Amino acid sequence: MSTFAYACRVIPFPATRRSVLERIQSDDREVRRAAFGDLAEGYWRPSYHYLRLHWRLPAASAEDMVQAFFTAAFEKQYVERYDPAKARFRTFLRTCLDRFVQNYQKAERAEKRGGGQVHLPLDFPGAERELAAIAVQDRHDLDRFFHDETVRDLFARTIDAMRRAYDAEGKLIVFEVFERHDLRPSPDLTYATLAREFDLTTAQVTNYLHAARRRFREQALVNLRALVGTDEEFRDEARELFGLEIS
Amino acid sequence: MTTWLSNTVVDHLRVVATWPELPGDRYVIERPIGRGGMGTVYVARDTLLERDVAIKVSNAPVAGSGLDERLRQEAQVLARLEHPGIVPVHDAGQLADGRMFYVMKLVHGETLSAHTKRLLGEAAILGVFERVTETIAFAHEAGVIHRDLKPSNVMVGRFGEVLVLDWGVAKAIEEEAAASATRVGTPGFMPPEQARGEATSTSDVFALGALLFWMLTDAMPPPARDDALRVLNAAARPPRRLAAIVLKCLASEPSDRYSNAAALAADLARYRAGQPVAAHRETTLERIGLWFIKYRTFILLVAAYLVMRAMFAFVR
Repeated sequence: MSTFAYACRVIPFPATRRSVLERIQSDDREVRRAAFGDLAEGYWRPSYHYLRLHWRLPAASAEDMVQAFFTAAFEKQYVERYDPAKARFRTFLRTCLDRFVQNYQKAERAEKRGGGQVHLPLDFPGAERELAAIAVQDRHDLDRFFHDETVRDLFARTIDAMRRAYDAEGKLIVFEVFERHDLRPSPDLTYATLAREFDLTTAQVTNYLHAARRRFREQALVNLRALVGTDEEFRDEARELFGLEIS
Repeated sequence: MTTWLSNTVVDHLRVVATWPELPGDRYVIERPIGRGGMGTVYVARDTLLERDVAIKVSNAPVAGSGLDERLRQEAQVLARLEHPGIVPVHDAGQLADGRMFYVMKLVHGETLSAHTKRLLGEAAILGVFERVTETIAFAHEAGVIHRDLKPSNVMVGRFGEVLVLDWGVAKAIEEEAAASATRVGTPGFMPPEQARGEATSTSDVFALGALLFWMLTDAMPPPARDDALRVLNAAARPPRRLAAIVLKCLASEPSDRYSNAAALAADLARYRAGQPVAAHRETTLERIGLWFIKYRTFILLVAAYLVMRAMFAFVR
């Protein structure tokens, strides 16, 4: 079990959260499959938005392309070719997607779409609804756009996982305070207002917020670890994301 | 269905995810107001005294980074230097995750970088600069050198108070030898010897000179003396004595500068009083000019008296 130190504490790191590269290069097919599952989970939504906005593919074509890309990436071992010295994993994956679309279009194999492919259970209608909310100015720098969408999706999945975990633990109130204060931020919202709304003391509000933010940060880092190619890239991404130094 | 997060929420989460968890419930963090290499400063509410305060928290909690020690040292330096030009420290402690923090007065104002644009005329500039020099002179007297003076580390408050900030790399003068080989400071405001890790009180004098140069010209001082003089004359046309004071501070040899900030402050006071300054040897003409300025009321009265006497003599 590997570990990483954060905030002077050593946080246990699940063995399944080794870097993407390590897991994809595993001889164990199940480990590889699980790694691709994480990869698809973390990147399918940014990829879909990227195909819709940069490649201007119709919704149906973008859906098929995302399915086909991740299937091909697993079967044809695209990711194994990743060289950390050349680019970040995110950039590498986006470049692979660009090439995949170009080749796909050149070969005009659209009629074969979906034939015999394994379909991932992805929420394309949800991703389609989100398109309207993506600001136009975000779309010019492709690498930045793909990065921002990856972060957005990483945070969203982290929050969904937090909600489920707090619900399972019978502590949904902690999540609700966090949701009210940090997911719907408002300059007028004070801790005292929040305390009245939830019938808590101000100290409870701040304690719940601390706990939820800590959980968010730690879970986001665990999820991030599954999306990057190397330990060094993980440190760089954590520094960029939260300004944290990971030892 | 996955939660959708707007750009505003994503940015907000990135910030709050690393907000410090302060011990107890006395201080409630409200928002970050600045982030530097060593720490982040937050506005917080002191619920006990019901006032806003500023809290500086070390950035990197990783053991061995040295940042916690620097923050602790900064808090101790600030606590030691009680002066109107230095922000007072109220409290200090350690977060649950091991990071250091200290609580200080929240100063409402703007940094010199923003404030200087509204300072019109030599008198206004020198008024602010003298306050900075006095603060540094006080620190030197207390055995502390700042080592990172620059416009962004000087704040002008809403009541006109001038405060010198960021004492994170300050050193006790007796520790100077130990500090050698530690390269700290900001290029342009850092003298050559400090770049080699040999900071002394004259290094702060160099930084003060660079600060005054910047306030007068809105430019960084060039390394060569002649170039500096040219820029100074082109941008501000200061009197020769004031230019000499700036250039004496900026001398590349520490022994050619003022020995400390107090010596600079004294020369600056002489300049403002119209007296000869140590930085500049006046010509005879300049001395006569200074003498005239100093005794101009008396000279004018005598002259008027003599003119009247002459007129009376002529009328008779």
